[in-house]
Amino acid sequence: MTAMQPAVGASTSSDMTINLGPQHPSTHGVLRLMVALDGEYVKSCRPVIGYLHRGLERMMAARPYRQSVPFTDRLDYCASLNSNLAISQAIERIGGMAVPERAQYLRVMLCEMNRIASHLIFFGTYAADIGATTAFLYAFRERERLLDLLEAYTGARLTYNWIRPGGVASDMPEGYAQAVCAFLDGFLKELDAYDTLLTKNPIFRVRTEGVGIISPEKAIAHGASGPVLRGSGVNIDLRRTEPYDAYPRMQFDVPVRTEGDCLARYLVRVEEMRQSARIIRQCLREMPEGEHWGKQPKVFRPAAGEAYSRTESPRGELSIYLVSDGTANPVRVRVRGPSFVHLSMLHELVRGVKVADMIAILGSLDTVLGEVDR
Amino acid sequence: MSLPPLRRPAPTRTGFECDRAFVAGQFAAGVAVLVAAIAVASALPRLPWRLVDPALILIGSHPVINALVKALTVTVFVTIHVIFLIWLERKFAGWMQARLGPMHVGWKGALQTIADAVKLLMKEDIIPTRADRVLFVVAPFLTFMPTLLTFMVLPFSETWVAYDFPLGILFVLAVTTNISLGTLAAGWGANNKYSLLGGARACAQVLSYEIPMAVAMLAVVTLEGTMSLTEIVKNQQHGWNIIAHAPVMIPAFLIFMVCGLAELNRTPFDLPEAESELVSGFHTEYSGMRFAFFYLGEFAANFFTAGLAVTLFFGGWMGPWLPAPIWFGIKTIAVVALFMWIKWTVPRLRVDQMMGFCWKLLVPASVVVFCATALWVMVAQP
Amino acid sequence: MSGITSFIRGFISILQGMWITLQNLVGRRKITLLYPYQRPDISPRWRGIFYLPYNDEAGRINCVGCTLCAQACPTGVITMTKMGAGKHASVNAFTMDLGRCMFCNLCIEACPFDAIHMSTRFELASLDRGVSLLTIDKLARGGADAVERTKRTIEAALEQEAAAKAAAAAAKAQAAASAQPTEGSGA
Repeated sequence: MTAMQPAVGASTSSDMTINLGPQHPSTHGVLRLMVALDGEYVKSCRPVIGYLHRGLERMMAARPYRQSVPFTDRLDYCASLNSNLAISQAIERIGGMAVPERAQYLRVMLCEMNRIASHLIFFGTYAADIGATTAFLYAFRERERLLDLLEAYTGARLTYNWIRPGGVASDMPEGYAQAVCAFLDGFLKELDAYDTLLTKNPIFRVRTEGVGIISPEKAIAHGASGPVLRGSGVNIDLRRTEPYDAYPRMQFDVPVRTEGDCLARYLVRVEEMRQSARIIRQCLREMPEGEHWGKQPKVFRPAAGEAYSRTESPRGELSIYLVSDGTANPVRVRVRGPSFVHLSMLHELVRGVKVADMIAILGSLDTVLGEVDR
Repeated sequence: MSLPPLRRPAPTRTGFECDRAFVAGQFAAGVAVLVAAIAVASALPRLPWRLVDPALILIGSHPVINALVKALTVTVFVTIHVIFLIWLERKFAGWMQARLGPMHVGWKGALQTIADAVKLLMKEDIIPTRADRVLFVVAPFLTFMPTLLTFMVLPFSETWVAYDFPLGILFVLAVTTNISLGTLAAGWGANNKYSLLGGARACAQVLSYEIPMAVAMLAVVTLEGTMSLTEIVKNQQHGWNIIAHAPVMIPAFLIFMVCGLAELNRTPFDLPEAESELVSGFHTEYSGMRFAFFYLGEFAANFFTAGLAVTLFFGGWMGPWLPAPIWFGIKTIAVVALFMWIKWTVPRLRVDQMMGFCWKLLVPASVVVFCATALWVMVAQP
Repeated sequence: MSGITSFIRGFISILQGMWITLQNLVGRRKITLLYPYQRPDISPRWRGIFYLPYNDEAGRINCVGCTLCAQACPTGVITMTKMGAGKHASVNAFTMDLGRCMFCNLCIEACPFDAIHMSTRFELASLDRGVSLLTIDKLARGGADAVERTKRTIEAALEQEAAAKAAAAAAKAQAAASAQPTEGSGA
């Protein structure tokens, strides 16, 4: 069982090995951290993953292309529409499908709504990690309203399976644009209140400022992406650098902060929620009339080859690689998830910090175990 | 298609079985502590017992019966008001978080705490196999008893005070410090790593914050020239301390409040039981009635700290129209609500920040306030 | 000096935060739904428990047993046995195992006959695993009665078809017979 031993350098008798997880209030799922503690200080930390492993990549490869979309819901379950988009794009690329313009706008709108929902989960759970339980419930209150909207559109609240190869499964219901706009008005006001409650709070600031600093070089070296990368001052957002769907036509700012600490990552995400609201409004304003589905081949057998799609999920770069041999099922489906990459930085970030900081750093990486374990 | 019912696995020895001897020991410990409390109370000089009824005065004139009645009254009062406070806290937190809080048992969930207490009573008594059994069993009482003792000197009115100790504040300071002994015993005795960290944190925290709290209380003592809590209230007849002596008493009250939060292990100082880090801290391994005793102790301490703040700064039982104990209750509940309000608003500090805040800010500040009070007394009362 | 100003600013921002929680304490509407007593408003698009709609005019459920839904299902929830043939076909067994279902909507989109729908019923929890196995009697709107009527409709239609076929065959045979003079046909 040497594999299960924590990587402790010079272990002394005062060290204490403690297992945080797989059942623990702040590991956000079934993550287990084997931590060697010297009093309050973390000497080493070793994440043990795999408690949620379901073999999703293999399951997707064993089925016809279009049936793999519902499995991506189970990757990053906080933002499953974004995962839907990633696999849909990959399938469109390998099969040469076109997406109608209206569908592109609908996709962007859905993804940004899901991004807000996902960032609200981050906001709430991060507040709870730091110890502010009230902010947690406020965030979930707003998320509930957003999920009601998504439910009105897709019929589901968590695993939507609504962005499909070739388009979106249905058009918006009647009066949806007004409902979304009404939500956004209230939401932005609430977001300001959250800023007052949490972001400006001096206790929250001393807990997050200067904690878990990731330098830009380190972030790039580890392959970090999304808010973690932009919190370290690297201005890369795939919606901007490699825009897809309707993103080239969208006006939005990419928030970047140079500090690289937990607070920077938090602020990037909070600002992204505001930008997402901007994008959703633009989508609703500029959405052209038309079809929500492209032309679909009845039997989908793409020519032998491979395709790679890169999308910006709320957590970072979510990419899917598909290999086809000309049959109805893919040969290989490979998911490149941001959470897994970010979790691999954890052991370096937490060395020498205190237990409370370790929880703050883990929370600021915003990992989702569904996508880490796959 | 109907499936056969799920079979329960055959019971195996888990090491968590109820140990009758220890349950008996627990009750014996409880009784012993109660007897000790009575002994302490009966050793005190005889006082006219006007708490309940003139008829009781006759019986109450006997020192032992007098003490027994007082001890029972305090215990029953603490238990009952804790039931109310827990309900209040849950409602308060719920409303603050846009929830409803408990709603099902009784009117607006008013009897929820009783239902929970019954549930806790009926739970299996679990002592971890490798725990230090003596410490594990004694710890809940060690945290609860000092709190219970402090109620002895808390003046609900001029006459509603179990024992008007001339050195009341000294007594309070001496007794409340012992609470950390219980948390440390729980943390060590449970033989759980989270508990150990929580216990160590609790001990360091309570002992550090005791100092600025004591100094802030001494500022009041300097102002009033007495350590008796009833005397302090009586001296506020012409204005509450916090208004009459606002320049020095407002800072003293703020320091007292912050230290009170720390003593009570409430956010931002809930490090000993920090849920997101230590699961439940020092009481991780406790369940059933032992856990209930921690809860009881925590909420009783909550009421007591608020009551002390009212006594020292807000004129105690003083108030127009209503009877004195009701005024005292209203004021105390208001301060308790303030504690809850702060608890459900702010995040948690880190352990070094918590200690730094105490030693680098609160201790010097309290000393400054103390000196300022001395100056204030010299200037205001020549 | 900056330490003092930042301390004061921090103190004020804590008070601002407390003002927000106070507003929620007294002013804001509470969002709790006392669930078993109050029911949530569910979107009509909700993807809940399945049902097979019953067509009153045709006197049958719409399903023709083409297995397109079973083929579209990623997890193999649906099994069915066909009855009848040709134009007059339906199913006499149609079973969905909700224990495997992802509620992904693919089967509904696959159906060209509008024969399978999702209702707004969402309470799937049960103490008995058998409950999650939905047979056709539980799935069809109208229950076993609807299934029975479908069966009768299909059988009647098949009989009618067979009779028509037989009649046609007989007519054909007669026509052939009358076209071809035969001996002893008068007997």
